[in-house]
Amino acid sequence: MADKNAQDVSAEVETTETQQPASKQKTNAFVAFWKNLGGKVKGVFGGWSNKSPRHVEADLVLNQQQQLSTGEKVKRALKAQSGWLFVAPALLLMLLFTFYPIVSAFINAFKQDLDLTGNYSGWGFDNFVHVFKGDTGTGGATFVQCLINTLVFTLVSVPLSTLIALLISVALNSIKAVQKAYQTILFLPYLTNSLAMGAVFATFFTLVNSGSGTNVGLINQFLGLFGIPPTDWMGIGAPVWELGDAVKIYWTKYLVVIIYEIWSGLPFKILILFSALQSVNKQYYDAARVDGAKRSTILWKITTPMIMPQISYLLVTGIMGGMKQYTAVVGLFGSKMGLQFEVGTMVGYVYQYIEGGSPKYGYAYAASLLLFAIIMVITFINNKITGKRSH
Amino acid sequence: MKISIQHLTKIFPSRNKGGKEVHAVEDMNIEIPSGKLVGLLGPSGCGKSTTLFMLSGLESPTSGKILFDDQDVTTLAAEKRGIGLVFQNYALYPHMTVEQNIRFPLDNMRIKKDEGNARALDAARLVQIEDLMARKPSELSGGQQQRVAIARALVKMPNVLLLDEPLSNLDARLRLQTREEIKRIQRETGITTVFVTHDQEEAMSICDIMVVMKLGVVQQIGEPQSIYDDPANLFVANFLGTPPINIFKGKIEGGKVYVGDEAISATEHEDQEVYVGIRPEGFIYDPDGVFTLDLDHVEVMGRDKSVVSTHQASTKPTVRCIIDSDVKLPEKADKLKFNIKPNKLFLFNGETEERIR
Repeated sequence: MADKNAQDVSAEVETTETQQPASKQKTNAFVAFWKNLGGKVKGVFGGWSNKSPRHVEADLVLNQQQQLSTGEKVKRALKAQSGWLFVAPALLLMLLFTFYPIVSAFINAFKQDLDLTGNYSGWGFDNFVHVFKGDTGTGGATFVQCLINTLVFTLVSVPLSTLIALLISVALNSIKAVQKAYQTILFLPYLTNSLAMGAVFATFFTLVNSGSGTNVGLINQFLGLFGIPPTDWMGIGAPVWELGDAVKIYWTKYLVVIIYEIWSGLPFKILILFSALQSVNKQYYDAARVDGAKRSTILWKITTPMIMPQISYLLVTGIMGGMKQYTAVVGLFGSKMGLQFEVGTMVGYVYQYIEGGSPKYGYAYAASLLLFAIIMVITFINNKITGKRSH
Repeated sequence: MKISIQHLTKIFPSRNKGGKEVHAVEDMNIEIPSGKLVGLLGPSGCGKSTTLFMLSGLESPTSGKILFDDQDVTTLAAEKRGIGLVFQNYALYPHMTVEQNIRFPLDNMRIKKDEGNARALDAARLVQIEDLMARKPSELSGGQQQRVAIARALVKMPNVLLLDEPLSNLDARLRLQTREEIKRIQRETGITTVFVTHDQEEAMSICDIMVVMKLGVVQQIGEPQSIYDDPANLFVANFLGTPPINIFKGKIEGGKVYVGDEAISATEHEDQEVYVGIRPEGFIYDPDGVFTLDLDHVEVMGRDKSVVSTHQASTKPTVRCIIDSDVKLPEKADKLKFNIKPNKLFLFNGETEERIR
């Protein structure tokens, strides 16, 4: 008798197990999808918080113990799906404005001779081949030139401006008087239009020989005080290093762009790092002082590791942003990014194919896919490096 | 190392104009003999931590002097004083392993790697955490973190070890264990140690010398037992002892001490209003006793009994007497009579609250 009862119970449990999760499975699939995605994204971005799977398990156990009427089951199943309703607005917008363009870019990159009306002559890798070879027929800089430009701008300016922002934040954190005023002043560039800033920067570095005489910019005037003759930082005659046949390094122009990017990147970085510093418990500094640490030791061995999560955030987002740089160079050198894209960025390279009289959309799609792939690789490497250092 | 604190005063200016400045420590004078374990005891806000931080050099005094042996260290920077400091929440560097944490002071002293490793291991052995060297602080329990903090303070072989509320973040059991541990480490190393606590039991149990403070002013300095047996004023008497001392309003009249209508003791002092303090263990049950209490209930503790009663003249809601568990009390009674042990009864001036000796 006792045995039979036990069997009955186990049979019941089995049936509930098989019936119940039918509705449950869909939610689980949904949850699992996001969890999976979370797990994968975690590899790239770090620290993606996953909800503990215990909740789901607890739900299952609970349901197995109860016998439910069919009506109740349907109700619960619907309730379980109600999560979709909450994400629907965001999901719709994302599908429309994020996923659709990405997918269509992937497809269009393989269409040959694509024009504005959507007509094309066939499928293939032609666009990629042309982009790589550089014979895209617009007379602009090559893809490789733009790639090197962008890499140099980004990999020099982002770490440097993060370092400078760190030093400024630490200094700012150690003063009490007029801290608020400095904070405001340092944040001002963030509120300024980058094209306007670029134009101002351009006049700083000018050297123009016009009919009425030589127009010398602020920087050249300053250097003149030390007896250094004026340099043509930005113009046609700017100094050049040649790498191979196709690639030219206009180092003075590079310098201008890098100084500009460091300067314009500071406000946001200071904002983030300063608030990170303020949240560090002062007791660590006291402890380090008692332990005989010098100021520099405290900065590099205590402070920096403590705010490493914010620093790596700035590096990752800074490099991603830097690879997509466009407005800064346009602000400095005009929409042609120099005479013919010689200091062009990758986005500038993409853009040259969709403006003007005879746009080449296929090339633009192919180039932007390459840009996408490059950013992804860089971000991945970046995360591997910085992820290890943050505690 | 001998520590002497002379006329030490710390005044914090008020934050807003016209506000009151805070006298955290006022005119403190203490001589601490070398190799002793000293406890600064007092309720929160009494200036005990401020005193500790002034000893460490992290706070600078408003006036007064601090001498280590005969060297004036009042203006010496924290890192040059040769002190080890353990913070209340340990302040272990979260990004370093236990070993790196302990080695950090040595690295700053530019000690060679081999010697540094050996010393770090010695310090870790002393506090019994040598198995945890590769862990991060977040992977340790509170008690283990505490030990790491002590090891980090000891590794540089300080002249003075300072501990700020070292046990307050530990659970009750661990607290008992750790305070014995601190005593042991102090004995083994012989380092002059000053620690801060608000827990009188903790201070009584491990201190060689106890300093009782209130609102920045030192109330009494001495060995724990002597302070307990001979409190200088009502505050000290009240602060020490669990359960706390019973205080009654009373008066001296014609050579007798009266609480309510009953004369409970003889005295030689002049007639005046007084506070009468009687330690819980100072009551002897006696059906013919001189002092009557209204019985509320009896708590049996095993080793002894705690008689909870009330008295109209008591300044606290209940009066607690600890008596031996062998003593038979009447089963049903509204009132109990007691005699008072003379050495457990203290008289305090009714106004100044100073002890009448």
